[in-house]
Amino acid sequence: MHTRADGPLSRRRFLALSAAGVTAAGAALNGCALPVAGGVGGSGETVTLMVKAEDISPELIRQAQRGLGIRIVTVRYDITKLIAMLTSGNPPDLVRGVGAVDTPYYAARDVAEELDPYFAASTVLKADDLDPVNDLWRYDGRTQGKGPRYGMVKDFSQDSMYWYNTAHFDEAGIAYPPTSEPVTYEEWLDRAERLTRRRNGQTIVFGGSYNGLYEATNLSTLTAAAGGSLFDDDLARIDFTTPEARKALGWYIDYCRTRVGPSAIQPDPNAWDGPTYQAGRMAMSNSGYWLGGMINTDEKLAKVSRLAPAPVFAGGARVSPCQGGTGFWMPRKARNKDAAWRVFEWFFGEAPAKARAGGGWGIPSLKSLRPLMPAEHDHQRRVLAAQEAELEHFSVISFTPYITAEGFKALFNQVAPAAMKGEISVDTLAGRLNSTINEQLDRGKEQVG
Amino acid sequence: MRAEGTPSAATRGATGVRVAPAAAARPAGDRPPTSMSTRRHRAFYMFASPWIIGFLLLTIVPMVYALWLSLTTYDGISPHWRFIGLANYRELFADPVTWDALGRAGLFALTSVPLSIVAGLGLAVLINRPLRARALFRTLLYLPAVVPPVGAGLAFKSLFDQNSGAANGVLNIFGIDALGWLADPYARYVLLMTVLWAAGNVMIISLAGLQDVPRELHEAARIDGAGAWRTFRSVTVPLLSPVLLFQTVTGVIASVQTIMPLLLAAEPTTGGVTAIPQSNYMYMMHVFAEYFALGRYGYASALLWVLFVLILVVTGLIFRFTSGVVFYNVDPEAKK
Repeated sequence: MHTRADGPLSRRRFLALSAAGVTAAGAALNGCALPVAGGVGGSGETVTLMVKAEDISPELIRQAQRGLGIRIVTVRYDITKLIAMLTSGNPPDLVRGVGAVDTPYYAARDVAEELDPYFAASTVLKADDLDPVNDLWRYDGRTQGKGPRYGMVKDFSQDSMYWYNTAHFDEAGIAYPPTSEPVTYEEWLDRAERLTRRRNGQTIVFGGSYNGLYEATNLSTLTAAAGGSLFDDDLARIDFTTPEARKALGWYIDYCRTRVGPSAIQPDPNAWDGPTYQAGRMAMSNSGYWLGGMINTDEKLAKVSRLAPAPVFAGGARVSPCQGGTGFWMPRKARNKDAAWRVFEWFFGEAPAKARAGGGWGIPSLKSLRPLMPAEHDHQRRVLAAQEAELEHFSVISFTPYITAEGFKALFNQVAPAAMKGEISVDTLAGRLNSTINEQLDRGKEQVG
Repeated sequence: MRAEGTPSAATRGATGVRVAPAAAARPAGDRPPTSMSTRRHRAFYMFASPWIIGFLLLTIVPMVYALWLSLTTYDGISPHWRFIGLANYRELFADPVTWDALGRAGLFALTSVPLSIVAGLGLAVLINRPLRARALFRTLLYLPAVVPPVGAGLAFKSLFDQNSGAANGVLNIFGIDALGWLADPYARYVLLMTVLWAAGNVMIISLAGLQDVPRELHEAARIDGAGAWRTFRSVTVPLLSPVLLFQTVTGVIASVQTIMPLLLAAEPTTGGVTAIPQSNYMYMMHVFAEYFALGRYGYASALLWVLFVLILVVTGLIFRFTSGVVFYNVDPEAKK
């Protein structure tokens, strides 16, 4: 375009210049590769962690920087930001993730680094010291729990175990559930109904909460407890109409219908059981050992709290998986992998891991750290005994790589509330869930290839 | 700098008309003086350029990018996404969930916009009167509008919690059983209340409009024997009609894009996608779920583009059907 340096700036010329400016700015932005605040500052010993605030405190970061000589910058965990960073080729060096649901998703999309060579060379994280829960971070392309390791669990719970408050059982005149042998799910629900106390339409005491961490893992676990599998062998289809899945779904919908605990049709404003249980307004909570971190800080509550094994379905298997397994994974395109691994070792095997083990907020994911679990008081020893016995029943239940747990939840909550309110039957719900979730699984399978 | 012997910048030609000197006659490096018009243009574009560049970068570029995404199966990280043309749009028009969500958003706009305009106007009329402590009332009524939406959402959630909320406490006093306000079918009413609670925004704009109504017109109406209601209907409302039109258009746009109160009033989860009551599953919630839960960037972008076009059409229709009843003090067709 011919332009005159000294002429008036016409609208056309201005827009042309602006468009050029926009293109240049876009290129510049692209070149910056989304340098988020505190992002990686070029080569050298700087490691970017994408974490939630509760994962690692500023003091721990200072300790790491002093001890390891590695500069650590943190980016707040945000899935949108993570995707932007992954697609721009400038991912964080370590990312927090939930092993039970994230491992197949990221591994199948080939964005997670295989960590086996690092584990093999490590003197801190030795393979024979890894608790079986770390298998949640393994995926061989078909099955979760086998194949290369993509991450590690920071600490964990067997989330189908439940806590109960003996004071509520005493008040209702109901015998305590045993802490060594499982009750059936039907018995659990029966107790929950009898323990629930209502007045003027308000629930004064929730008889029991059985939501699990995610609907997806909760229903997978329930189906496994009924002796089946929610997903087919290659994890590409779901079927709620099999007898086992139907039994699991039916039980969960009964739990919601009876309104003995929080659910999509009776939301808990606290979003988790902790505050309600602590306030003495919940008789049972399937939160696993993890909730002990909160219970231990309240002496009165600790004395009346018991930890019980995961229930079973009559004739079904005894399964007690971890539905979370939060930890870190390393993106394949991370820039400072060796330094990131050193931080990884420190976080999972050194001071922070020891501090977590002693805190009681989870079972350590290294067997060697188990002696650090709180056992000072009677109630802690009682809980520890129940937990140690339950570890024998741990297993990994595969989750599909073709949908996220959040995606499952979104689809489930579009369809299921009608059944929870009794407007549609469980069989109708099973059919609708099959239809909507399988549609999404098909899309996921096509995209993974 | 002008070389010696060259003509002045402006000389008279043979006809006596003032003409510019020929460029060839000007030595190299000599620049003509910049005209006032050019300087004005330059200044305008210079001052406007931050906004224009921002508009291009932050609005047009993302919109074009979203349009491109809407033609693909892109989900952020999967390796085999592809271009699918208009398939997302075809799916969208055949998807009953989308239509239900759009219907709920439309119904919400149809109820919330008139209610908030009437409430805001009513409050504005009240506090436009010569009351004692009028400033205090204005402040108090406007206060909810300045409360951050997150704070307001959480407050409403606590207030309407079935088991510990004050709303059910009040019902219990009157012997009425507690209601599940945050679940179906009551969740939609709580949402409506959050909108009406923040009617202070509408009130402030209506108040500004009311204060612009010439006092002599009210006096003339009174002399002609018109009562308060007739004066309000025949003088105030017509003069306020551009303000009401503005509130209608912006209200409709805001209400169909409602998402924050929906997210805040719902059951929170670790990942952010919530178990939301069906009656509050409106269009933007559907977009949110498709983007962030299902990772369907392409489909969600198509949803947003359809919403954009719908808003344009609805806005156009509102202008079309209100052109006969909106009274402008200034000719809106005036170009300059």
